[in-house]
Amino acid sequence: MIKFVNVVKRFGTRTVLNGISFELKEGEILFILGTSGTGKSVTLKCIVGLLRPDEGEIWIDGEEVTRLSEEEYFPVRKKCGMVFQHPALFDSLTIYENVAFGLRRHTHMSEDEIWSAVRQSLSLVHLEGIENKMPAEISYGMQKRVSLARTVALGPKVLLFDEPTTGLDPVTTNAVNHLIFSLSRELKTTSIVVSHDMHCALDIADRIIVLDKGRIVEDGAPEDLKKSQHPLVREFLAEVV
Amino acid sequence: MFAMPVSILSEIGACVIFLRDVLRTLLRGRVPVHETFEQIWRVTMQSLGTTALAGFFVGAIMTIQFSLQVKAYGALGYLGGLATSGTIREVGPLLIAFMLSGKVGAFTSAELGTMRVTEQIDAIRCLGANPYREIILPRMIAIIVSSFFLLIAGLLMSIAGGCLLGLVFAGINPEEYLRHIPTIVTLPSILNGLFKCFVFSIVLATICTYKGYTTTGGAKGVGRSVVSTAVSTMVGLVIADWLTTLIADAVMQGFLGY
Repeated sequence: MIKFVNVVKRFGTRTVLNGISFELKEGEILFILGTSGTGKSVTLKCIVGLLRPDEGEIWIDGEEVTRLSEEEYFPVRKKCGMVFQHPALFDSLTIYENVAFGLRRHTHMSEDEIWSAVRQSLSLVHLEGIENKMPAEISYGMQKRVSLARTVALGPKVLLFDEPTTGLDPVTTNAVNHLIFSLSRELKTTSIVVSHDMHCALDIADRIIVLDKGRIVEDGAPEDLKKSQHPLVREFLAEVV
Repeated sequence: MFAMPVSILSEIGACVIFLRDVLRTLLRGRVPVHETFEQIWRVTMQSLGTTALAGFFVGAIMTIQFSLQVKAYGALGYLGGLATSGTIREVGPLLIAFMLSGKVGAFTSAELGTMRVTEQIDAIRCLGANPYREIILPRMIAIIVSSFFLLIAGLLMSIAGGCLLGLVFAGINPEEYLRHIPTIVTLPSILNGLFKCFVFSIVLATICTYKGYTTTGGAKGVGRSVVSTAVSTMVGLVIADWLTTLIADAVMQGFLGY
């Protein structure tokens, strides 16, 4: 579904991704772990074309995307929904208009159909009856879930989560993590989650990649990762224990 | 030594490329109509009060200044025409641009900058939409269209201000004040004012949307963008005023024989 081949991304003289390669099968949930500044978010932004790699290839659903123009990238982005670190809701629009944003632009649905699609997406994230509220009128945790609803409304094949639980309390963190798992299974999407949360990764990931200084230092199933002797992985595991 | 001029030139270049990309987007597809009208309404209403007030006093100032000159020649009857011509040709468009720069330019830059740092602009791109079409074009069109509405409002208020001060300061009744406006404010004067208004609004709209759109660095970055917008638009408008005056004069002398 997604394939990285020797992807390199530099910012000035600083190399953030240093030749990373991995392949993700359809329906898999992949967690990318690592300390801050190791290129986790950059990896996601390269997939959706917000950043372009300097070297290497990225394949999405059988298509090489690194050389696509901005306009050619739009259909790729419809396949890959991204949930940002911030909720990134449009603060001048209501919750309904936020979730309907993509539907209005990419489908020929009537207003009634859009209304029911929005309600369905909101119910997937366990939010009902807030359609007419403004983003500022709901809590941060709810905003994150609305952001997820807006992303899934277009029915993407791939879901990308950039630190989805940052800034949330433990109870909401748990709820969001389980939401990611249930949505990925229910909608049969391929998911990549960027996180620092090893506990959650061991709990719901099919596969975990650990990045350090722009390189993959560990790649495997949660059970394999528990046996890793890499110092960074041991440090992450020590937190869980 | 050359670092600053090079950085200024590269910023101007980036701004021009930004404008080119926005115009290309305009030519390639539909503009969100509802959003554009909403922005036109917002920009106009946001600046109408201050523009009208400033227009009133500009008319008053022009009348006082001109009355001192024309009194010596016994030509007080031309006061209204001269003051209005000066306002429409030069002071009006520049005043509207400065007013918009202070209110709408700073607001637009801060709004877009906040959208950038809170990843709303990235979210638009990720939802398969073009941010130039969704958020930049409606704001640019709104600033350009509103400038014309505000110019008319400012001009009417300047005539009102001029009338009042003409009566109080020079003892000319309003009828006398208004009589020579149609003879002195000719079509070329009006076209000159409209041309300047159009160019200034494009300069302002481009700078404030560019600065907001390219914001980096969180809340501090938004603050930096707003300050930079204020400085760049003022400098840009003064340079644009000089250029448009040169062009308008050349056109008038070359084609219209003025």
